[in-house]
Amino acid sequence: MENNVILELKGITKEFPGVRALNSVSLTLHRGEVLGLVGENGAGKSTLMKIIGGVYRPTEGEIYLDGKRVDFRSPEDSLSAGISIVYQELNLIPHLTVAENVYVNRLPRKKGFVEWNKLFRDTEMLLRENGMGEINPKDIVSELPIGYKQSVEIAKALSYNSRILLLDEPTSSLTGPEIENLFSIIRKLKAKGISIIYISHHLDEIFKICDRVHILRDGNTVDIMPIQEATEEILVSKMVGRDIKNIYFKEEHPIGEVVLEAKGVQDDLLKGVDLKLKKSEVLGIYGLLGSGRTELLKAIFGARASHIEELRYKGKSIKIKRPIDAIKLGIIYSSEDRKGENLFFGNPIWKNITYIAIQIGQFVKSGFVKHKEELNKAQLYFEKLNVRAPSMDMDVYNLSGGNQQKVCLAKALINDPEIILMDEPTRGIDVGAKSEIYRLISELAKSGKSIVFVSSELPEVIGCSDRVYSMSEGRITHEFIGNDINEENILKYCLQKEMTEEVKIS
Amino acid sequence: MKKMKKSIFSNSEFVVFLGLLGIGVFFSVTSPVFLTSFNLLNILLQSSIQGIIAIGMTFVILTGGIDLSVGSVVALSGVLMALMLHAHIPVFLVIIITLLYGLAVGLFSGFSITKIKMAPFIVTLAVMAMARGLTMVLSDGKTIFSFPASFDYFGSGKIGPVSVAVIIFLLYAVIADILLRHTVLGRNIYAVGSNIKAAALSGIKTDWILNFVYIVSGISCVIAGIILTGRLDAAMPTAATGYELDAIAAVIIGGASLSGGKGTIIGTIIGVLMIGVINNGMNLLNVPPFWQSFIKGAVIFIAVMIDSLKNTKKEG
Repeated sequence: MENNVILELKGITKEFPGVRALNSVSLTLHRGEVLGLVGENGAGKSTLMKIIGGVYRPTEGEIYLDGKRVDFRSPEDSLSAGISIVYQELNLIPHLTVAENVYVNRLPRKKGFVEWNKLFRDTEMLLRENGMGEINPKDIVSELPIGYKQSVEIAKALSYNSRILLLDEPTSSLTGPEIENLFSIIRKLKAKGISIIYISHHLDEIFKICDRVHILRDGNTVDIMPIQEATEEILVSKMVGRDIKNIYFKEEHPIGEVVLEAKGVQDDLLKGVDLKLKKSEVLGIYGLLGSGRTELLKAIFGARASHIEELRYKGKSIKIKRPIDAIKLGIIYSSEDRKGENLFFGNPIWKNITYIAIQIGQFVKSGFVKHKEELNKAQLYFEKLNVRAPSMDMDVYNLSGGNQQKVCLAKALINDPEIILMDEPTRGIDVGAKSEIYRLISELAKSGKSIVFVSSELPEVIGCSDRVYSMSEGRITHEFIGNDINEENILKYCLQKEMTEEVKIS
Repeated sequence: MKKMKKSIFSNSEFVVFLGLLGIGVFFSVTSPVFLTSFNLLNILLQSSIQGIIAIGMTFVILTGGIDLSVGSVVALSGVLMALMLHAHIPVFLVIIITLLYGLAVGLFSGFSITKIKMAPFIVTLAVMAMARGLTMVLSDGKTIFSFPASFDYFGSGKIGPVSVAVIIFLLYAVIADILLRHTVLGRNIYAVGSNIKAAALSGIKTDWILNFVYIVSGISCVIAGIILTGRLDAAMPTAATGYELDAIAAVIIGGASLSGGKGTIIGTIIGVLMIGVINNGMNLLNVPPFWQSFIKGAVIFIAVMIDSLKNTKKEG
């Protein structure tokens, strides 16, 4: 076993001004192994990855590659030693071909001219060898489905003859069948003796693909265990540092009458959707990206040019033309796209929290914002949502994903809305923060609010919802109530569609 | 409670302010005339027209837009007023009609940007050419002279030692500053520039905000046009040529970001004064006009470079 070790980190410590990001972490990676690296946001996963990738140099500790001490002074050093990193955000050039992206800055040349034939031939071979033969090297990257883009990124990493591959949250934008496809590529790489460090928030993926799992918390190694010995509960409790028996949270409480009813929601994506929401209810909507779930919420909120046959709220027929109409009625939408559609990066936390409130005249007098009252109210919600930041003056850009999400929810809840349309509130955030959000959702429902909870993660939909709609291709495909809300049932319903999708991909 | 009081200058404004002081000290040492109250008031007077235009430009740039038409819109306003005054229309009516013209120009640009989804750069470039063309057509390419004293008062009148134009400028700046910093409307302007999608989902009528800032720019041009025409007692068809660049430069020197969401009126005013001081000082030192243009360009470059370097350091 020992001589099978390809990469070994010994006592790695990394200090930033004022912070110790890693504290004497040791890690081993074997040949042909998939090692899962898990931990909450801020546990030190990215720092560790950047040290292996030569982006940072450790404050203390040693790195051994094939038993020899190495010192990576730059990403190039690490790359030429055979280590490649695939980052969470894809770094492809959209309007170039697959081949050009793979060999970007190393295009084969003869007398200054690109040898296109050789380029396409090499790329094709590389793709075929690694189980991605269905991708055409001449295709333009921007026209590929997202799953293929991810594969191109991996091919690019492998084109450096890498023996070690670091995958950072590789599935964050992939759908079910695309994830399966990625796994089959990983298995193929593994069979070829390539070692992989796999970072993910999705523990089910860790169980599916990893041989061992390395758990970090607050910059320390908590445990390293073979995957057979781990269970989700064990991993979570080790990551969070406390026992979380059930991270989902649902308190039984009486559910009221229908408060919101939309009939025949229709536009270019939505194919005539009917939705009913009851008082004190958590309505889960399970569907993948592109299923129309986001569009449905936006249509109700007045943020899309959709046709709605009838919209009834508290028994009255209403019209919502634009978001401000919905906000005035006590209906709020919180976007999944924190950076793109929800928060104002470059602005302090308090300003982000109060943007919606001032639109309907909270702490406003004849157009002027009463700043002191504003700050007090922001402080209240800042604390209520347990946003972890040294002060409300901090730029939201500098917060972790989980804390950004809490600011989003503070912003949505500050007007005390009756109906909260939450679009993927747990996307890309750590288990601890997720658990807090589940609890919040349950508390809101108990206090009489109605919540639509959109998610592409089945366990949390099941764990939190009183009723579930499954959605795909612009339609609500099924309604699940009571004991019907279980994994088997919902998957059975969605499988049909996913299988047809899989055929399309392979 | 934490410290609630903040200094009036944010960090980047402070740096530019120091730069302004530095340039001021340089000219004070090199020219005996520079640091006299007469000259300083003169700088303020010369800056007032640029300043009013730059305040309008600040609104536009805060939303991530740009208004290239300001110089031509000023010139056209001058010719419109001149023609109306020569037709013996009462001064107050002339001013009201011209303000409406400014509003209409702003609405035209705003509408093209929000409803037809045209790029601000192109829309205002076209408006720039159209307005200058109309100016030439209406004036037949000739300067129109001599207006009633009650009109010229806005450009050349004085209250004590201070020009009416300077008072209008400072008053306008105070109103703009209060609007941007303390009202919901002001917050919404920053919101639109910072993240227009998030702004829309927060219930802000983003189209309305965009129309509003171009209207502010149009009206600012008219106010500047009233002062300019009154001061010269003449409406020249070639007036205010190139003012758009000075206005944009002033806003950017003042710390605003061309991508929107960042900038203040105080910053813009410091930027305007900086350009005013450099122009004035170089005249006092008899710098040849061709070199003046070069030096001004270099100063703008350095000011923006310092800000840019600071930002990359922060991100890195």
